Amino acid sequence: MSPRVLDAVGLVARLVLGVVLLVAGWLKVGDLTGSVQAVVAYELVGYELARFIGVTLPVVEIAVGALLVLGLFTRASALVGTLLMLVFVAGIASAWTRGLAIDCGCFGDGGPVDPEDTRYLEEILRDIGLAVAGLWLVARPHTLAAVDTLLRRGRT
Amino acid sequence: MPRPPAPKATPAKPSGPPLGLIGAVTAVLVALVAVLVYLAVRGDGLEAEGAANTLPAGGGIVVNPDAPEDATTVHVYEDFQCPFCGVLARSIGEGLTEKAEAGEIRLTHTIMSFLDGNLGNDTSSRAANAALCAGDAGVFSEWHATAYESQPTEGAGWTDADLVGFAEQVGLEGEDLSGFETCVAEGTYLDYVTDMQEAANREGVASTPTLVVNGETLSREELSLLQSDPGALDSVLAAHE
Repeated sequence: MSPRVLDAVGLVARLVLGVVLLVAGWLKVGDLTGSVQAVVAYELVGYELARFIGVTLPVVEIAVGALLVLGLFTRASALVGTLLMLVFVAGIASAWTRGLAIDCGCFGDGGPVDPEDTRYLEEILRDIGLAVAGLWLVARPHTLAAVDTLLRRGRT
Repeated sequence: MPRPPAPKATPAKPSGPPLGLIGAVTAVLVALVAVLVYLAVRGDGLEAEGAANTLPAGGGIVVNPDAPEDATTVHVYEDFQCPFCGVLARSIGEGLTEKAEAGEIRLTHTIMSFLDGNLGNDTSSRAANAALCAGDAGVFSEWHATAYESQPTEGAGWTDADLVGFAEQVGLEGEDLSGFETCVAEGTYLDYVTDMQEAANREGVASTPTLVVNGETLSREELSLLQSDPGALDSVLAAHE
């Protein structure tokens, strides 16, 4: 494939992962109580840590999402985005295997749901897909329409 | 004669700081903002003053503090905007109140308010505050039942006039009523309401309704049984004695 096609694939990966992170962070940052409670619902960490995660995660998601959409520090941002997705997959899988019935809280609105309303597989597959997009960018951070490109051009 | 070493080729100097530095500064800034937000929303240790019969540290309001020591403890975690809390209250609310009055159970309510953020209004907090105001006036259980009788569809919310209207319905009048109105208008216990939400999360309660009997959280099956059959209250409580 020509480099330009690969750059275009990279652009799509950047926008998909970036926009999802931006939206997820934005929906949570307006309801921090709900965000903290969604972390509590995983029953994985103590309250203080749950509150720290619930409050800081949306900020990090928004920042990484914005950097990816801009194409700024693409490789580093994509690495953080990928790691986030892997942690989410681990958390959701853990909730699933422990028999909890919760919404992942990925886009706010977390917490317990009826057992027949859980969507663990769907949530895990979505996050794995996003992790793949992130991995692509870690491996090949050069993309179309990225601020990174402008920065480098201005420096040679 | 050895040739002098060739002068080192100086690479074209990039203008401005290296990209790695800019990236690192960006990362530090993001972390800083996250920590600042964390510190800004940090609770102050659950020290808010509660209303009559409230437990310290956002522990909730006790309906019958004079219950005998060996009474079964029943702790209800609820949010006035949670539809199933309404279903549960309309089903077993009366039964719980009777048992509390008879001293069979020690009944405590923690009124949470997380649905405000979810629904984009402030009804849960204001209603929780009003319930504590009703506690001051000695009509917590009555006000609680009346409010759930006219629970709005999720998200529609209650006005302060609605909250005062429930107090009129349970028979508050004169000074009691005007005191209640002031308490609602001033949001006297809103800090305690925040503490109740946080205390519930600290206890690991992440959804409403949650019923804890003698320290044991009722299962989903037990809850749905209680929501549909008020008569099941005795057997469910007995299972946790």
